[in-house]
Amino acid sequence: MSHILLQIIIVPPIASLFILLTRHLIGRKAGWIAGFSLLYSTALLIMACVRVYHGEIIVEEYPFIDSAITFGLLGDGLSLPVALIINGLCTALAFYAIHYIDHRIEAIYGDVDERTYLNHYTRFYSMFLGFPMGFMGVCLVKNLIAMYFFLEVLPIPLYFIMATFGYVDRVRVAMICLMWAVIGAAFFLAGFLMAYSQIGSFNIADMNALAGNPMTFWIIFVLLIAILIKMAAVPFHVWMPWVHAEHPTCIAGLLAVYANIAAYVLVRVIVFPLPADFKAFSIPLMVLALITMVYGSFLTMGQTDVKRFAACSTISQLAYSLLGISALTIASIEGGMFFFLGHIMGKTILFSTAGILVYTTGTRDMREMGGLAQKMPITTALWIMGAMMLSGFPPMSSFPAEWVMFTGIFKTGVQTMPIGLMVAIFGAGAIILTVAYTFRSVKIIFFGPLNPDLANDKIKDPPLTMSIPLLMIAAVSIILGVCPKLALNLFNYVIAGIPIP
Amino acid sequence: MDTLTIAWLCVLFPFLGVIFTFLMARVHPRLRNAAAVFFPFLSALCSLKLLTRLFHPETLPLESSVKWIEIPFVVEFGVLVDPLSIILAVVVAVISFIITVYCLGYMKGDPGITRFLMMVNLFVGSMLLLVLTNNLVVLFVGWKLVGLCSYALIGYYYRDEEKYWIGGPAPTKLVSPSHCGLKALVVTGVGDLIMLGGILIIFYYAKTFNIMELYTTASVWMPEMAKTPGIIILTTVLLLAGPIGKSAQFPFHEWLPEAMAGPGPVSALIHAATMVKSGVYLVARFIPMFYYGYWVAGISEASAFFTIVAWVGVITAFVAATQGLVALELKKALAFSTVSQIGYMWIGLGMAGLSGSVLIGGTTSGIFHLVSHAVFKACLFLCAGSVIHSAHSIYMNDMGSMRKYMPLTWIFMLIASVCLMGIPPMPGFFSKDAILLSALEAHHLPIFILAVITVVLTAFYTTRMVGMVFYGKESEQIKHIKREGGHIHEASPTMWGACGILAVIIVFLGLVGPHVEHLLKEGFKTNLVGTLALPVAHGGEHPFNYHLVVSVLSIAAILLGAVPAYFMYIAQKWDPRAILDRSSTLQVFHKFFWNRWFIDAFYLKVFVDGILKLADFVAYTVEDGFDNFVHRKIPTFITQRCPAVMFKLRTESDDLLYNISYIIVIFVCLLFVVLK
Repeated sequence: MSHILLQIIIVPPIASLFILLTRHLIGRKAGWIAGFSLLYSTALLIMACVRVYHGEIIVEEYPFIDSAITFGLLGDGLSLPVALIINGLCTALAFYAIHYIDHRIEAIYGDVDERTYLNHYTRFYSMFLGFPMGFMGVCLVKNLIAMYFFLEVLPIPLYFIMATFGYVDRVRVAMICLMWAVIGAAFFLAGFLMAYSQIGSFNIADMNALAGNPMTFWIIFVLLIAILIKMAAVPFHVWMPWVHAEHPTCIAGLLAVYANIAAYVLVRVIVFPLPADFKAFSIPLMVLALITMVYGSFLTMGQTDVKRFAACSTISQLAYSLLGISALTIASIEGGMFFFLGHIMGKTILFSTAGILVYTTGTRDMREMGGLAQKMPITTALWIMGAMMLSGFPPMSSFPAEWVMFTGIFKTGVQTMPIGLMVAIFGAGAIILTVAYTFRSVKIIFFGPLNPDLANDKIKDPPLTMSIPLLMIAAVSIILGVCPKLALNLFNYVIAGIPIP
Repeated sequence: MDTLTIAWLCVLFPFLGVIFTFLMARVHPRLRNAAAVFFPFLSALCSLKLLTRLFHPETLPLESSVKWIEIPFVVEFGVLVDPLSIILAVVVAVISFIITVYCLGYMKGDPGITRFLMMVNLFVGSMLLLVLTNNLVVLFVGWKLVGLCSYALIGYYYRDEEKYWIGGPAPTKLVSPSHCGLKALVVTGVGDLIMLGGILIIFYYAKTFNIMELYTTASVWMPEMAKTPGIIILTTVLLLAGPIGKSAQFPFHEWLPEAMAGPGPVSALIHAATMVKSGVYLVARFIPMFYYGYWVAGISEASAFFTIVAWVGVITAFVAATQGLVALELKKALAFSTVSQIGYMWIGLGMAGLSGSVLIGGTTSGIFHLVSHAVFKACLFLCAGSVIHSAHSIYMNDMGSMRKYMPLTWIFMLIASVCLMGIPPMPGFFSKDAILLSALEAHHLPIFILAVITVVLTAFYTTRMVGMVFYGKESEQIKHIKREGGHIHEASPTMWGACGILAVIIVFLGLVGPHVEHLLKEGFKTNLVGTLALPVAHGGEHPFNYHLVVSVLSIAAILLGAVPAYFMYIAQKWDPRAILDRSSTLQVFHKFFWNRWFIDAFYLKVFVDGILKLADFVAYTVEDGFDNFVHRKIPTFITQRCPAVMFKLRTESDDLLYNISYIIVIFVCLLFVVLK
């Protein structure tokens, strides 16, 4: 099939435009149209992954402004598995949102006439499809400016969906989110322009020409600030709890991707072309990652709001990928990327299940829940699977990911004793905080006697359109956990080529 | 069918049991029950078939594997059949099968029985995976799954109805099953993750996770490791944290006494057949590497492994036994006993490397005690489950005189208790004496003396337990049940049948005890000395017959503990309450032991309350303050300093137009940069 990568990027915006233009004709079918358009692009991604698995690299070039400036796309072992999982999550959440967004419109705008309702409903989906476009763009482009463009496309649907369908403090938090995105963008732009000033090219493949350049340290430094802001590393994490907590939960899973995509950018733009220059940042970043892991875990443990709980855990979890990548070994980078995929799947399940809980019980306070396992067994199973994915229990994909990642981290640790080894040991030990807070939340929300206020028939598992997509994500995680080769072999095509100093 | 295929099937069957139990539950409850028992039965058969290999240890080890991960390093998914894995597989599979049969009676009518039976099968499968795998990664898979299953089964009564709470009686606090499950998961999890660090350090030097390769290449990687001072000791500490947690050894022992919040058979599974044995197994697995390091490569740091194992074992054995002296809950008394007996196993394994001549004796004694403990503790827990079922109480002082109503259970529990005390000719006598003998032969007198004192304590608390449950006067609770028209009776046939089979196995093992010990010894000798070529020195001439000394001391210690307990709790000639009231010193000790040496309270205060307080501090003081600074103070500062500009640019909280304009401005700037 030709133009496969281009199709993957442009199918969502075409579907978005279609929904926008025909909103009164298609009405409530908008969710299904969005879902099926994403299913199509997921199928394309699977086809592309199969080709790459057999050793092919997919490259597409399209003229942009003139023949000198082209819009290039690259499908390799690093970009495609990441794109596939992210697109899969977008697809699942498109179906999940069919019921959920119905509930949000009713909660925010009350009993409105059909036309107004459809306006809201279709607006959500036409904006929602901006996410897959942005994510696919970031994953597949070959050019720094195109990457910047897609990175900055992402805050737009985020901003509008947040302000239109979010929770109580939605407009203020939408503004906070946008401002942080702009600050991060400014650093990205500065870094990219600094690189351009040295090598005269925006091509990511040309970045290795910066190796050994005295300016490279500062270029990496500036880009790292942008990446750390996006990844919500301490002390740039402060936007994360707000933004994740106030968003409609149907996109909160994508917010984890929004933050995590920076890990991909880190590998693609910095680590892959400039490993020797990045080495200077290795230990400081590992220490920062450890601090973020521990701080994020304590922050999560202190939460009582079920949405904030999931949000704060993202801060901690993102730092694992950062730790792996900054350890700068083949195993730790591959494991870090694999962990990133495991985390976004786990977090999507956890956030979306939090949405189900809020949707069903009408409260966000975990302490007001309790005993829900009796009434909502499928939701309980989903939450426990999310907890297992975050905590790295087999058979979830995060188990082999964690193992591979920490093998690399310990390699660096032993080589950089004593600091490196201490970071590695405490990093592995810090996972217990994840186990503690995730399974403690299971106890608080689902176990124990049922809260008498919730002893009514309204408290039950959600409709299948909400639970099946999440169960599918869990199934993908289990498949990758049982057959980690599927992801690791693909990553290895690219990451094994990094000349680790 | 060849041995390796049988080993694969042995692991696979319980996992199939999980699936088929689920599927059959949709068809008919009887089919579900049949599936839940059938697959553990097949596993047990496979393990017994493997056992025949132990009679020909020279044909071992056998290994089979497929590649699970190839990149960035190779991880195999395979099985390893050697004397150690065979013994553990037999213990796990056979005992678990008997317990599963018991479950059908015990859990009859329970609404969650399908979930329960699935988890039991998964538990058994995970444990078999752990003991039969050929590499440390897959071992860790089993290790984590065992932890997860224990969480699900200990917290099985997740609704936390008051009747399932354990602890007490007032004023001692009661704890809910879900709390106990979480505690087990977290405490053992701490050890697991620390152990992960140890394994990965070894991998860095050895470049392999394969157990046999780790043994055979120890001559390369051990000296390489030793070049960095302190790394072997660090690795030892990290590695042992996992087994210490899983086997509930000091200082990670506090989860096990509360792990009996689950249904009775779960306690039997955890204590006898699965979870706690995994730690002992792993210590035994690591012995050849560290033995090589110390006795062949001459690396002094490697001896730390054996020293830590032995001391952790003896401290745990003693501490837990003292707590068993005063326990009132029947299952808790047994839980303390488990912790204590596992400590004995650790002593034996520790001794294996503390003397150049005790490798075989020490390893054999530790594993032999594991076997005998598995059988008698399974029997004790299943009998305890039956008694608690009948008496409707978890406390021993709510029982009394139960032998009248449950004669079969009484006989079976008596046999198991005699074995626990180590009275000849029970297998407990042979295995415990073998451990004491190892300690004596290794000339570690402090450990030997503490171990003998622990024999006294074991005899006391076991006799006390039997006396309080089956002898003496009927308690008020029993009278109350009778008054209310309740019928206290023998357990159902599946329940007492399972206990009976275990009792028969105990007696049989006792009769052939020396032969079993010999079989194990030959197996380990062939494996460790023959295959792995580890040197064993001949013990020098002893000034007196150590065997005789140990036997005499052991029997004297049993009498020293059992006789007073007999007069207090069985013959009831002495009143323990009056004795306690008369002595203020005894009261202090009683309080100290009752409060579990205040270790649990200390952990609760420091690690649970402390961490939660720290979390609150981080979330509501540090984070709120920082958030306020970033999202309130800074914007306020900017808007106050640049009011004219801000006034023009300001956003109304509900006016999206202004915000859109921001985005447009940003993208105009972007376009400008691109097109420039």
